[in-house]
Amino acid sequence: MTFIDILGFALIGSLKSVGQIALIVIPLMIFIEIFKELKLLDKITILADPVTRIIGLSKEANLPIMAGLIFGISYGGGLIINSAKEGRLSYREIYLINLFLVICHSVFEDTLLFAAIGAKWLPILLIRLVLAVIVCHLAARFMPVESYAIINSKS
Amino acid sequence: MIAAIKRGFNNGIKTTYELAKIVIPVYFIITFLTHTSLLEGISRFMSPVMKLVGLPGKAALPVVLGFFVNIYAAIGAILPLNMSIKEITIIAAILLLAHSLPMETAIARMTGVKTSFLVLTRIIMAFIIGAFFNVVL
Repeated sequence: MTFIDILGFALIGSLKSVGQIALIVIPLMIFIEIFKELKLLDKITILADPVTRIIGLSKEANLPIMAGLIFGISYGGGLIINSAKEGRLSYREIYLINLFLVICHSVFEDTLLFAAIGAKWLPILLIRLVLAVIVCHLAARFMPVESYAIINSKS
Repeated sequence: MIAAIKRGFNNGIKTTYELAKIVIPVYFIITFLTHTSLLEGISRFMSPVMKLVGLPGKAALPVVLGFFVNIYAAIGAILPLNMSIKEITIIAAILLLAHSLPMETAIARMTGVKTSFLVLTRIIMAFIIGAFFNVVL
């Protein structure tokens, strides 16, 4: 195979991949904007209830967890910072939400991207959700009590 | 609503452009590497470790790119390597559990928590699940 052949391969292959990614990313971004426009996030935070209950978090954790699951870790992180500033989350809760979100976030985008290149979508989606819940549940159980202390509280 | 759709479309184009800047160069570099003995060398060197999760040695490249850069760089590197469905599902699971570690850890740190345990958990789980998927899939 000549250098030119390889160059051609790389060119066609890489453009095709970018096209594939565009077919996922563009509709996804439109979906996300519509989602925000209709303020759906506030309406579906209740769906995070079973998750926060298993981990042992307050209802206050529902919003950052749901936001992180749908929009990604930076969006979820932003909401954590907001709640923390207003003293609505303890350090312990902030830590557990972070632990949950680093394991499982942007579930639509991430799962679709790998499904598009041939991965089986159900196992890679389920394993993240299940692991995030189990790991956080265990961490919550074994976390030292002093980390219950509230930081950033309005004193 | 029309405005929201337009905004989403523009964001999508912008994101695609940003991704293209990563995916295309990575794809080129890996494609060329597959025609050199360097990739074979890396592959042979990494294969004992990668075998534990059912992946060929060359798959170490997208794993490292995914850990340190992001998922898009990893995808750019996976595509030229001609992996099977099972291998792609395993590497997807590994990368979904641990990716963009410098960036995402920085975000977690901004919320005020200590991050060493978070990063360690992600990497360890990624390899455990890789080995698990290799057995069950």
